[in-house]
Amino acid sequence: MKHEIFEKNTILLAIAILLTVAIGGLVQIVPLYTIDSTIEKVDGVRPYSPLELAGRNIYVREGCYLCHSQQIRPFRDEVERYGHYSLAAESMYDHPFQWGSKRTGPDLARVGGKYSNAWHTAHLIDPRAVVPESVMPMYGFLAKNELTFNDAGAHLATLRAAGDPYTDEQIAQAAADFTTQALGEASGGDVDALMARYPKAVVGDFDGDPSKVSELDAVIAYLQMLGTLVDFTTYKPEGEMAR
Amino acid sequence: MANVEKDPVSGTNTTGHEWDGIKELDTPLPKWWLTTFYACIIWSIGYWVVYPSWPTLNDYAKGVFGTTNRLEHAKDMAAVAQAREAWTSKFEGKDIEEVAQDSELMTYARAGGKAIFADNCQPCHGAAGSGNKNFPVLADDDWLWGGTLDALQTTITYGIRSTHDETRISDMPALVADETITPAEADQIADYVMMLGGQGGSDAGKTLFDDNCAVCHSEDGSGNQDLGAPRLNDGIWLYNAGKEGVLAQITKPQHGVMPAWVGRLSDTEIKQVAIYVHSLGGGQ
Amino acid sequence: MSDPSTTTVNQPEPSGHGDGPLYAERVKVHPRHFDGPFRKWKTILLWVFLAVYHCSAWIRWDRGPGAPDQAILFDLPGRRAYIFWIEIWPQEVYYLTGLLILAAVSLFAASAIAGRVWCGFACFQTVWTDLFMKVEAFIEGDRNKRIRLDKAPLSMDKILKRIAKHVIWLLIAGFFAMSFLWYFNDAPTITKEIFTGQIGGWTLVVMLVLTGMTYIMAGFAREQVCFYMCPYGRFQSVMTDEDSLVVTYEAWRGEPRAQPGKNRDFSDRGHCVDCSLCVQACPTGIDIRNGQQMECIGCGLCIDACNTMMEKFDLPKNLISYDSYTNMVAREQGKGKQVHLIRPRTIYYAVILTIVATAILTSLSFRDRLEVNIQRDRAPLFVTLSSGDIRNGYTYKVLNMESSAKEYTLSVEGLKGATMTVIGDEQTDQEVLDLKVKGDHVGTFKIFMKAPRNMLEGASTDITFVLKDKETGEIFNQSTVFRGP
Repeated sequence: MKHEIFEKNTILLAIAILLTVAIGGLVQIVPLYTIDSTIEKVDGVRPYSPLELAGRNIYVREGCYLCHSQQIRPFRDEVERYGHYSLAAESMYDHPFQWGSKRTGPDLARVGGKYSNAWHTAHLIDPRAVVPESVMPMYGFLAKNELTFNDAGAHLATLRAAGDPYTDEQIAQAAADFTTQALGEASGGDVDALMARYPKAVVGDFDGDPSKVSELDAVIAYLQMLGTLVDFTTYKPEGEMAR
Repeated sequence: MANVEKDPVSGTNTTGHEWDGIKELDTPLPKWWLTTFYACIIWSIGYWVVYPSWPTLNDYAKGVFGTTNRLEHAKDMAAVAQAREAWTSKFEGKDIEEVAQDSELMTYARAGGKAIFADNCQPCHGAAGSGNKNFPVLADDDWLWGGTLDALQTTITYGIRSTHDETRISDMPALVADETITPAEADQIADYVMMLGGQGGSDAGKTLFDDNCAVCHSEDGSGNQDLGAPRLNDGIWLYNAGKEGVLAQITKPQHGVMPAWVGRLSDTEIKQVAIYVHSLGGGQ
Repeated sequence: MSDPSTTTVNQPEPSGHGDGPLYAERVKVHPRHFDGPFRKWKTILLWVFLAVYHCSAWIRWDRGPGAPDQAILFDLPGRRAYIFWIEIWPQEVYYLTGLLILAAVSLFAASAIAGRVWCGFACFQTVWTDLFMKVEAFIEGDRNKRIRLDKAPLSMDKILKRIAKHVIWLLIAGFFAMSFLWYFNDAPTITKEIFTGQIGGWTLVVMLVLTGMTYIMAGFAREQVCFYMCPYGRFQSVMTDEDSLVVTYEAWRGEPRAQPGKNRDFSDRGHCVDCSLCVQACPTGIDIRNGQQMECIGCGLCIDACNTMMEKFDLPKNLISYDSYTNMVAREQGKGKQVHLIRPRTIYYAVILTIVATAILTSLSFRDRLEVNIQRDRAPLFVTLSSGDIRNGYTYKVLNMESSAKEYTLSVEGLKGATMTVIGDEQTDQEVLDLKVKGDHVGTFKIFMKAPRNMLEGASTDITFVLKDKETGEIFNQSTVFRGP
């Protein structure tokens, strides 16, 4: 085939490019939606609670994924440092996923429960106060910014349209759950009901300032549940995986 | 159209085009390059056969080797576990006090503990346990919940005020907010605490202290490691130092959280890091 | 000097301009054997150097139990160099550097006085090439036979001869490689391991690489190493001056050259009979009659060759001579021999050699067999204890370079009230510590030093660790700091 045919005919070139790229997409992308083993469901994985969702949105807004990955790969050194390798199911309700591609800072896929709320507060406000060699920017403004999420229900409903299985009850109670999780018992809300709707959610004043719900509260609430949902003592890889 | 010429010097054809008077030789790809390229293509076909490759509707070709990333990983982890078996098996079933009798095991534990500490504990407790603001110094000889190997192991395993069921909790009551004492009385207690530590102060608040504080912190302020009540008569403070710090803690007490490491670290790993912390210079 | 034209008998005429390749292929050199003093000395030195190289590693030297008993050993994994009674630690590697400097300067001095004696007689490339050529001559015969064999078609005889030659070459190369390894391992042990096939890893790599390199360099590359690879030949022009000995063709006597006819009258012609024996004898294949050239390695075999011819014609010997330019000119002008052994160049070298040798010897005789390193803990900078005292941590390393175990006491100067604790020991809160270090060992001690807060001179107090050898009373001081709030 002579180069000339493509070099002199724009439309033909465009079609050829499309075909080539489509092959890549067909082989690399489409199967991931259809192959059973990449869409396994895992017990324990649940959609985000309103406060966690708000925190995740701030995480995306601030571009945390630029330095922090959220994918523990099945390699010995990563598993030894961060915990069990990440399962596809653990990010099934992430729109978009936060797997990241760089580790300037450590992987956060299983950071939930590893540090106390007080530590996260201290670290986000001034990273070098707790990790002297850190190059992470300071996020003190998150503690100052008050956060309201009155349209939490609408957010959850939209996500339900995208495929996240939010129940009517969760959507109805969204705004109340938001406040309850952030302020704990002091908010007057029903913590038990919240925990029933969102198992393993972390409740309570996160940033040490119970007077308001701040963006810092939301971010820490999100961080504190990352990687905690699946019980790996009972998790068994599906069929083929176990071979 | 193309006007292919033969270059007299090299014997190669030109591409046939001319751009602003410049012609280009259409030198064929080197044979070695082409051969390598075709060889790679054929090699890749071999790859399709032996490794997971082409997707089908709901599945994919598994490959003759039958390997997956997860399987390889499981093999790696098994190999590591087996390599470490020589040492970790010696920890199993042993009390941490028993481990302490074996100097070889201790050397191994200290080395392993150092690595585990750096990964997990350093962000809060600082390098080599030097502490951070509001996080305890582990290198000194002042302990909230005890600095013996056993106490360290318990603290690390279940945490303090953590989410684990068996965590230990100490609660400094908000005496002023509860209106158990007035702010003025709190001030007096703070003064007395200073005196207990030989830092000046006065004993005006002695009775108040004996009534409200001694039950946990002991009459002489030496604390109670079973209750996690800090020692008040030394110069070491977790939050803020001096009378202002004491007063702040009486008025609006802070309660730190030590995560529970069971589940994240294995039993042997917890023993190792406990031994390491114990060796930092303050172990009891 | 004579006209340095580039044409030589053995090399083809390089084509100048026009078509055709600009590259002249190498023609294999087949030196012809001639008896004579230079050949005699070259052979003697060949065997002497081979003996020294192959046998030295087998000399034993008792250093006590647990220490290697080889006199010359570079123990890389053990991080020690042993040269007879001298043991060198990695911290003292500069002694080895000094040895290299001595060797280099000696080489320069030798060249200044005697010319390219290294290239012609001592260089390992020359020695092994000469050895390989001897093997070749032994199997395939002298020059003419070898050239004929090269040109001959393949025959059983040729194949067998060639196989024999290459097998012997490979054995010699292997022996060279094994001997090299002897200097880095215990010779008897490694020999056994090689022959039982137990070596692996880098040892095997070195063995194979050295065998291969020797085989290729001495068997095939030969004079091309001297011409193209070795830098030493290229800077000979600065190594020698007009008083250094060089291999010289005395053109004033030899030219004009001509083939001898029946007429043996040499009165109106040069003594050179153009027999080209000098070219045939040369191991690098050059024509010395073109004058001093980089390619002449100064072996003097051409002198032996020419002298056989000079004898036949009853002419004075040493038409090619191993002499200085000054002397050659003196002969040309009929003056007497002029030897300038003491001149600025040789004086400089002698002085440098003396200085370096003296420095090394003095340093070796008086060096301490103990070194101390202190590394203060960086994290934590200091710890406040519940008693109010301040504590610093130190890693204290004592390098005991003697073969026997030593006992020391350690105390601190510069900080009143300081007490020390050694980790892993029963010594706690002492003002003086007892430390034991095994022979030929680095003793590492983790020491916690505690001091009352009011004794500190601010954030940083200068202190000195005083180490005293219990037996000899010798004191080793090392200063550091004690930090506080």
